[in-house]
Amino acid sequence: MAQLINFLHIVWIVLKKDVRVWLRQPVNLAVIFIPALGFLLISALGTEAVGRSPVALVTLDQGSKGIQMQHIFHDADVFRITDATQEQARSLYNEIRVVAIITIPADFTQRVEAHQQSPIDVEVNNLNLDFTNDIRRAVPDAITQFYQAQGSSSPVKVTMQEQNLRSRDIELFEYSVLPTIVLLLTIGGVINGGVATSREWESRTIKELLLSPTPRSALITGKVLANFLITFALGVAVLLVGALLGWTQPQGIYWLSAGLSIALVALMSSGLGVALGAALQRMQPVIAIANSGSVYLFFLAGGIGVLAFAPDWLQNIATFIPLTYGRHALEIAVFYSSSDLLGRDLLVLTASALVAVALGTLAMRRGIAS
Amino acid sequence: MLHNAASTLRVIWACMKKDVKTSFRERTFTIVGTLVPINILFLMILFVIGGGYAPTAVVMNDRGPYAQQFYQAMSGAHSFRLQQTSAQEAEALLRSGHIVAVVTVPTDFDARIRQNQPVEVGVQINNLNTDFTNDIRRAIPLSITSFYAKAFPHLVTVVPHEQDAYAQDTDYVPYLSVSILVLGIMLGGVLQSGLGTAREWESATMKELLLSPASRWSMIVGKMLGAFTVGMVSLIIVIAALILLIGVWPVHWGEVIGFGLLTLVIFVAWGTLLGTLFKNRTPVLALSFGTSIPLFILSGAFGPLSFTTPAIQFIAQLFPVAYAIALQQHAFHNFNLNTYGVGGNALVLVGYALALIILAAVALRRSTVAH
Repeated sequence: MAQLINFLHIVWIVLKKDVRVWLRQPVNLAVIFIPALGFLLISALGTEAVGRSPVALVTLDQGSKGIQMQHIFHDADVFRITDATQEQARSLYNEIRVVAIITIPADFTQRVEAHQQSPIDVEVNNLNLDFTNDIRRAVPDAITQFYQAQGSSSPVKVTMQEQNLRSRDIELFEYSVLPTIVLLLTIGGVINGGVATSREWESRTIKELLLSPTPRSALITGKVLANFLITFALGVAVLLVGALLGWTQPQGIYWLSAGLSIALVALMSSGLGVALGAALQRMQPVIAIANSGSVYLFFLAGGIGVLAFAPDWLQNIATFIPLTYGRHALEIAVFYSSSDLLGRDLLVLTASALVAVALGTLAMRRGIAS
Repeated sequence: MLHNAASTLRVIWACMKKDVKTSFRERTFTIVGTLVPINILFLMILFVIGGGYAPTAVVMNDRGPYAQQFYQAMSGAHSFRLQQTSAQEAEALLRSGHIVAVVTVPTDFDARIRQNQPVEVGVQINNLNTDFTNDIRRAIPLSITSFYAKAFPHLVTVVPHEQDAYAQDTDYVPYLSVSILVLGIMLGGVLQSGLGTAREWESATMKELLLSPASRWSMIVGKMLGAFTVGMVSLIIVIAALILLIGVWPVHWGEVIGFGLLTLVIFVAWGTLLGTLFKNRTPVLALSFGTSIPLFILSGAFGPLSFTTPAIQFIAQLFPVAYAIALQQHAFHNFNLNTYGVGGNALVLVGYALALIILAAVALRRSTVAH
């Protein structure tokens, strides 16, 4: 019993010391938050432009069909439109202010009514397939809406009957918040753990720890726990801020599953951080590897974009990245108030966290021994 | 006079040689720093490789000629990666997240089309986020119109008539990889110079440098040249990867090299300034890694800045990355991404380079051994 109390006492002291050292260095917060905030800022500022390319619309036809087509282009919500004369449109195009000039020709109404071919001219700056394909999809989309507007007299009889798999659509920005929390947890845990551990070697305080009459397991447990607590607190804080801002609002019991997912990702990254720090014993390579490694895992786990859109082989790689399950568990809990595959996600995360902590313990023991 | 010049050159040479040697002694870090842009290039390729096309299962309950034509129209919609499956397989694939939509062509598709009767095509969507979901919601009507335009050209007469600015489309990867060259230069320059300078403060060797009779200008030039030399390794590796792995061949070789080196000067000066201000490697590393990728994405890495939102344009134009990307896109693809022209963009970069060199020098001159 006395041994256990002594063990817990040492764990508490190491934990307190590491948290205090972390709090004394505000730069640590910057290290963790800057990449995550950067990605969040890009999502927040860029969402409006995604999938809505800027175009100049020239309406040369003032007939009924021409005006109807013009309104449809405006209402289609697939462009950011500037109505322009031919000269203005040319100028915007040359100044690279618009991706394309869309021209409704002067004889459009006449041709449509005569059932003759009625081309809509589209001049595209095709320097990048991303924007070019957006235009190639969006113009026919507007044409489709033109025909749909004709109702039962439309020659187009095929319609789409949509059925959604999920109860609600998630806006792009909202969707990007959860992977960002996962990125923050990964960078936070790996860097905190790595720096706190390698610092002991760089500042040679490891010598003092080794010479003290304390069990090494207590030292290691204290270190891992300190990093876990810091990282977990950061993750929960961001989730709460997200909830206050209305971005991420889990309901009822799903706060618990979201918290559990955050805790497991934090524990896994803390264990990895301690392992990395003990293996490299230098802060500089630890930060470099932790940063680039975390971003790598973030991308591979579907942090940017949607994993389901990736090719099969990439999806197969993602199944081996534990962050994939962390992201999925958070999405399901926060956006859909569901526990779909939660058991699988938590199992993978728990196993990964245990492996990471074991790796950290092993690396630390080896480092101490050497 | 001649003696002074020789002494200055010797100081520059000594500082440069020392910094290069130190960099190569930090092998792990130098390798990681040099390979980061290649990593990012690889990751970005992974990101864009399937992003534009929705993996979709088509359940063909009717295999008549019109149903086949409709399938062809979907294939040509620039939106889908299609596979034909049974309804059960499609459901399983959708639930497991391997596909994002199931399109079901009904059994009486051909018959109804022939009789000019309404037909409903079932579309089940994994509506994960609005961006990707809307792509599908737009692509299905596009396929329907394209199908009619081909099958019944006399009925659907309104069609787009496209005219392209360039003879050839440029795919995502060749475009993006050129932008990544700038990221490589940025990281290479800032990391080498920033850490080299911060290390002098951390190990207190800066005290010896500042107390020596050598001029601070020559020291700073020497340190920048050292970082510039190591940064060039990163530059060469990324250019080689672009040409040999991605197959992007520059249109203007001179511009690639000239503007690449000019950009490297800017980021070497920026790193020196950071190192002098923070005097510690941790914040320099954090800022270098933490800001480079978001700044890169913000600065028109995926397309002309003017196609994004005004807020992003405003922020991006404050930093040299956007101008460097514009110049490299011109050098490799002959693209004009803004209206400043090659000369204008180059002048902006020269301005940044001079301002940052002066700032870095001033910061070092104002530094005292008390730090």
